[in-house]
Amino acid sequence: MSAAIELKSVSKRYGPKTIIDDISFTVEQGEIVGFLGPNGAGKTTTMRMIAGFTTASSGTIKVAGHDMATENKQAAEKLGYLPEHPPLYDTLDVETYLRFVAKVKGVPSRSINSDLDRVVQSCRLEQVFTREIYKLSKGYRQRLGLAQALLGKPEVLLLDEPTAGLDPGQIHETREVIRSFGEQHAVLISTHILPEVTLICNRVAIINNGRLLAVDSPKGLQQASEETSRVTLQVSAPADALQQELMAIDGVLSVNVSDIDSGSDIVKAECQVETRDGIEAEIARITTARWGLHGLERLHPTLENVFLRYVGETSAEQEAV
Amino acid sequence: MNRVLALYQKEILSYFRSPIAYFVVSVFLLGTAYFFLYNVFLTGSATMDGTFANMGMLLVTVSPVITMRLFASEYSGGTMELLTTLPLRNWQIVIGKFLGAVTILLLMMFGTAINLIPLYLYGNPETTTILSGYIGFALLGMACLAVGQLFSAFTQNQIVAALITVPVLLAFWTIGHLQSFQSSTTLHAIFGYVSFSLHFGDFISGLVRSEAVAFYLVVCAIALTLNTSYLQWRR
Repeated sequence: MSAAIELKSVSKRYGPKTIIDDISFTVEQGEIVGFLGPNGAGKTTTMRMIAGFTTASSGTIKVAGHDMATENKQAAEKLGYLPEHPPLYDTLDVETYLRFVAKVKGVPSRSINSDLDRVVQSCRLEQVFTREIYKLSKGYRQRLGLAQALLGKPEVLLLDEPTAGLDPGQIHETREVIRSFGEQHAVLISTHILPEVTLICNRVAIINNGRLLAVDSPKGLQQASEETSRVTLQVSAPADALQQELMAIDGVLSVNVSDIDSGSDIVKAECQVETRDGIEAEIARITTARWGLHGLERLHPTLENVFLRYVGETSAEQEAV
Repeated sequence: MNRVLALYQKEILSYFRSPIAYFVVSVFLLGTAYFFLYNVFLTGSATMDGTFANMGMLLVTVSPVITMRLFASEYSGGTMELLTTLPLRNWQIVIGKFLGAVTILLLMMFGTAINLIPLYLYGNPETTTILSGYIGFALLGMACLAVGQLFSAFTQNQIVAALITVPVLLAFWTIGHLQSFQSSTTLHAIFGYVSFSLHFGDFISGLVRSEAVAFYLVVCAIALTLNTSYLQWRR
């Protein structure tokens, strides 16, 4: 069975400018993938190409097995899309708007009411169901945008920054909605909120300057990072002796010792170590046997560090070019 | 077809939940009533001829107000992203919107029928001439709306859409007057053929000519096809 979303060597050019450069990745059914990148990285353009709002200059995009270049209507029937700005008709009321979207999506008339109930309940729109859209707060507008995307239980859900403008309680609820929906469907979420990705996504795709830098699970990305194999410690010890002692430990690859300040005998050592567990305990045992240990930390990188490293690297490359 | 119908319903609701439809219909009916009273009482004859001619001119100037929002507001409101990603083909979007605008046109048209009451009460008008006038009015209106809808697709500013449409429609309306300045018979024929007002004149005088019917329908077809192609090109 083919992937729910499949991008093969997709590029988007406006005149001489390349906005998206040769991107390939897939999203499987039952998977939530976070599309991560700074503002202007090309997230929204990619989402728009997958949704069929714009076409790719080259490469192929398949949604639920349908090529967006030739079968975009069939693909659209299986797609729910929340754009960056919720696409709402201010003059309509919530119910009329949702009915309109449901009808155009081809939801059978006998099940429109139950489908409306389902999305209204999961997006907590009961209180504003009969209200005109222009009277809604930003949070409700965002949730209404999500509700229209969920109508018709699409196989593939594309959400461009779905929690933007929500308060913390609403963010939590919205994530739960996405998480439960993603259990049976394929979801691609574009965001620059890193904890969101760690909390709900099975995999992460990092994009910057229109290029895809990495696709992996959040844990995989963290493990792949150099940060996992770093231990820092503060010890009251002569720098040279400490350096020798640490280098002698099996699994320590390099050591860099520096003074914290000139008034004290405490030095700071940064060790690159092998990624096996328990190495920090061994370092602690050996150091405390001879000197006073004031602090020891195995650096567990946040996704933020990983992200900043990837984004930083591409920015540096761009500048070098 | 259900999808086009859903879009059509949305268009009608959008018209009536904003002041545009009320404004346009009111202005048109008031204008028509004024011209009707002026023409009938000035000439003392129970015909709609003069009124139809004025209605045509009035229509050319108010129809851009009906069409200006059709696409421009979808762009500026960000809802075009919804429409083009829903399972709707471009031609379905164009037709759904066009039918919405035509409904407003027909409302205006049926509203003017109130003028016929005194005409039939106190005079003896020719029913067939009046009918052909209304057929011509509907066709002229459809052509104006199709052209206006096309220009609305070119910009996200409704005012700009209307400001482009008005001179274009006025040009189509007045181009027939340039006929008499032409020495070349080809230009004379072309100016006559593309004139909105000359074809409408036939309907007013009671002639439903297939050439005139075809002309307005071809204008609609060209404008709506260009509109569909433009939406595709924008992607």
